[in-house]
Amino acid sequence: MWTKPWTFKEGFLIGGGLIFAGLMLELSVGPIVWDAFAWPANGIVLSAFFVMLTAMVYLRNKVYAFKWMTTYQAAIPAMVYAVVLTIIMGLTRQQVGGTWLNNMLSFWPFVLIYVYITVILGLTIHRRLRKIFRGQRSMKRDIPFMLNHLGLFIALTTATLGNADMQRVKMICGIGEPEWRALEQGGAVKEMPIAIELKKFIMETYDDGSPKRFASEIQILTKTGKNIETTVDVNKPYEVDGWKIYQYGYDTQMGAQSQISILELVSDPWLPFVYTGIYMMLAGAVCIFVVGGRKCV
Amino acid sequence: MSWEHFIYFAIAAVLLWGVGAWAAWKNKTGMAYATTVLGLLVFFSFILSMWISLERPPLRTMGETRLWYSFFLPLAGLIVYSRWKYKWILSFSTVLALVFICVNLFKPEIHDKTLMPALQSPWFAPHVIVYMFAYAVLGAAAVMAIYLLFIKKGGIADQEFFAEQSDKVERDITDNLVYVGLAFLTIGMLFGALWAKEAWGHYWSWDPKETWAAITWLAYLIYIHYRQLPHHRERLAFWMLIGSFVLLQMCWWGINYLPSAQGSSVHTYSLSE
Repeated sequence: MWTKPWTFKEGFLIGGGLIFAGLMLELSVGPIVWDAFAWPANGIVLSAFFVMLTAMVYLRNKVYAFKWMTTYQAAIPAMVYAVVLTIIMGLTRQQVGGTWLNNMLSFWPFVLIYVYITVILGLTIHRRLRKIFRGQRSMKRDIPFMLNHLGLFIALTTATLGNADMQRVKMICGIGEPEWRALEQGGAVKEMPIAIELKKFIMETYDDGSPKRFASEIQILTKTGKNIETTVDVNKPYEVDGWKIYQYGYDTQMGAQSQISILELVSDPWLPFVYTGIYMMLAGAVCIFVVGGRKCV
Repeated sequence: MSWEHFIYFAIAAVLLWGVGAWAAWKNKTGMAYATTVLGLLVFFSFILSMWISLERPPLRTMGETRLWYSFFLPLAGLIVYSRWKYKWILSFSTVLALVFICVNLFKPEIHDKTLMPALQSPWFAPHVIVYMFAYAVLGAAAVMAIYLLFIKKGGIADQEFFAEQSDKVERDITDNLVYVGLAFLTIGMLFGALWAKEAWGHYWSWDPKETWAAITWLAYLIYIHYRQLPHHRERLAFWMLIGSFVLLQMCWWGINYLPSAQGSSVHTYSLSE
């Protein structure tokens, strides 16, 4: 034990240590408060994360653990812990405001294991890049590896840290009256840079009475001076000034005669970064299919 | 066209696939291709006419997704056969397809024309079809693992020395199936994320179906990374494949029976109405 090179044993012990540390944190400071990561905190945390990764890269010949983290012996136990914790999440009812296993996303052991995976990913990507720049590997051959690993790294970091900046509000729009106030998730009223007036609510049903179509014909006025008439359908949101407008609900008592339409407005400034990661992984998956997986790992 | 006509198409397709499987055993390659393709055409013509008569892609109910599964199994078998000429692969894919066809024949579910607005999207068909193809290929990989573990028992030694030499072809084919399956699993999952953003406003909400999709995905990632190790235990790797396929079943239909997922999943369409 702890004789170099480290094996799966050390890998599982380190992961177990992280889970233990997570449990201590959960006991002492309570669950993670993700709302605290709103801009600029998430920008600072992300920069600090990169500084930490860079420091680990520089210290890799002095601190064996940092070098070891780019091996399968580190990565596989970390993934095993992640799978086990996620299975527990899948088997337990998740609740907003729940604690411990009932709110896995804010449970320290769960988050620490995923952060550990992200660190391993970052260090592994850096090691591969160094090899490419030293000419030990060809860039062309490593494109699939980069798409898969860097794509996942980008998606994981930006989706997690960007989440606190996502705004989701509901706007209850009536016919003939432009609305610029919206309800936040907690119920607070928020003034929006967009006003929306409902022109007509559309509800169509199949012969058996089951719903076929929900849509709202709306007029949008923005603070930036835009005046737009459009229709918002389920599955067909409309985007204006960084806000995506979704058909969300209606007056269910009135049905097709509903005089109001509930729209959801979503703004997610980090979305382009997350999508960059997702598209890279999509391209990476195509590479796995085309060139075979052995060259992508 | 409706489910009443299914049995005729199913019998014709299974007979053709059966002849193809027999031809493969007898090394009549040309005949194996011809009849399997013909069977696929017959089966797909039913899917297509269902699509037309339902006025929506037949992808909503479990019965409809089983239809695609039964279609993709012989297709995946044919692709494997064309690449590696395994005599038994077509028999195996035919038997599996037959199982799913029988489930559809003897346990039909309520099928109707309606497609709720949440499912009316261009993402719907690619998302589900890609997933069904991934499931079919990963199912084939799981059967390969069972074959290598229990039927060809003597061939695999736990020591790396023997593992180097025996069953290389079978191990490679298993790995290739996993790579293809994982590629499609990834694409299906990410298509789902892009669709979810359009439909529900967020690309990933840790809905029970999404949680189990992530579990399945990670499980197969562990397998392919473990197989990269120069010194690893082959039998453990194949057990991983069987375990991963069990997790995949949870994701596919198991969550419908999972107490923790009741009432909290936005993915249960056929049950909610």
